[in-house]
Amino acid sequence: MSLRVVRAIAAKDLRTEMRSRSAVSTVLPFAVTMLLAFGFALGPDRLLLAQIAPGLLWLAALFASVELCHRSYQNEAANGALEGLLLSPVDKGAVFVGKAAAAFAQLMVLLVVTTGIVIVLFGLPIGAAPGLLMLTAALGIAGLSTVGSLLGLLAVRSRTRQAALPVLILPLVSPVIIAATSATADLTHRNTAGVGGWLSLLMAFDAAYLAVGYLVFGHLLED
Amino acid sequence: MTSARRAAVRLSRVTRLFDGLAAVSGVSLEVAQGERVLLRGWNGSGKTTLLRLIATAISPTFGGGTVLGFDLQTERNEIRARSDLLGHETRLYGDLTAVENLRFACSLYELDPALAESALERVGLQEVAAVRASKFSQGMRQRLALARCLMRAPALVLLDEPYAALDVDARIVVDELLITAHAVGQTVVVASHEAPRARLIDREVTMDAGRIATPTSIVPS
Repeated sequence: MSLRVVRAIAAKDLRTEMRSRSAVSTVLPFAVTMLLAFGFALGPDRLLLAQIAPGLLWLAALFASVELCHRSYQNEAANGALEGLLLSPVDKGAVFVGKAAAAFAQLMVLLVVTTGIVIVLFGLPIGAAPGLLMLTAALGIAGLSTVGSLLGLLAVRSRTRQAALPVLILPLVSPVIIAATSATADLTHRNTAGVGGWLSLLMAFDAAYLAVGYLVFGHLLED
Repeated sequence: MTSARRAAVRLSRVTRLFDGLAAVSGVSLEVAQGERVLLRGWNGSGKTTLLRLIATAISPTFGGGTVLGFDLQTERNEIRARSDLLGHETRLYGDLTAVENLRFACSLYELDPALAESALERVGLQEVAAVRASKFSQGMRQRLALARCLMRAPALVLLDEPYAALDVDARIVVDELLITAHAVGQTVVVASHEAPRARLIDREVTMDAGRIATPTSIVPS
């Protein structure tokens, strides 16, 4: 795999995002609105809010990832830039890894911001192991980034598939969301006994999605 | 004429179907290395599809061939490394500046990033190197795409309606590309309604309804 291509694609995607601010202007408000809506709907029961906060946090991350990856490929589709990538003689798997890396960086920033909101609104405690919490965040976001970066490509290849994007993504990321939510809930409630299992599951899914994405991205990109 | 030189493009009974309809049907075409060929024809005659097939942007449904000696189906990356298609779409990123767009291409094609500045000068965009491509007019975007092609100097250049949306100065850049291509031995296939000046083209091929409509004619130089 060419690290030069990975770096070039990731840097290009991040620079494009810094200029267009699509994540800041659309994805972040969407996630915040969703959290606020749940907060109001569930009422003032602080205990209940703190219990469901990890699930809401990862639900917000999931929807943000779908939107962010879709936008990333819309940028590629505009002016035929995606065809430019197709016609470049580079390892297409490296293009996928570069796009997933850029999505990972953006989603991590989004997750940090939404976590702050969840702490304030829902009283989510940080817990006793902030390092493990960060590891959970990184592994969960890695899973969302890889699946989103693979299936986001389908969204720009045809109209039908665009409509089907959430339907394709949601079942595939369910194990990631379940494991990340469970690990986050355990860590924030100072129950570290079962965390190792969830983190192992996240690592296994991340590795599998990264490998599959690397291998099939080129085939999806071709005519 | 072509048999005396090695073929840059050799297509054998190539057909491309879209939803069951043939955009290109049974086309056999040979273009010699260093030759500059003009594809002419009405809208929908199959010129663009034929260029995209040669560029490996799409695959033939039937038939096959070689481009620069590499198989159209199995050696796509080798063809892509040595050819460039300049089409209707400029393949630029609107949120990147002119020079950033070219440097990104440099990183994909393993070129010296310093080539970006000189390519911008060649197409007269050096003054707007730091301006985002989204701020450019269509003509300026075409020029920038042309700069990317000049920077790469591929063995095979495929130009789809290269004069569209270009002002007089930029048309001169396209003409210069055709002259330079001839001088350095690049092969050029141009699809256009509008013929370049006759001395810039070696041969014309007319397409109609996805087929080669007329025997190819040699343009006197």
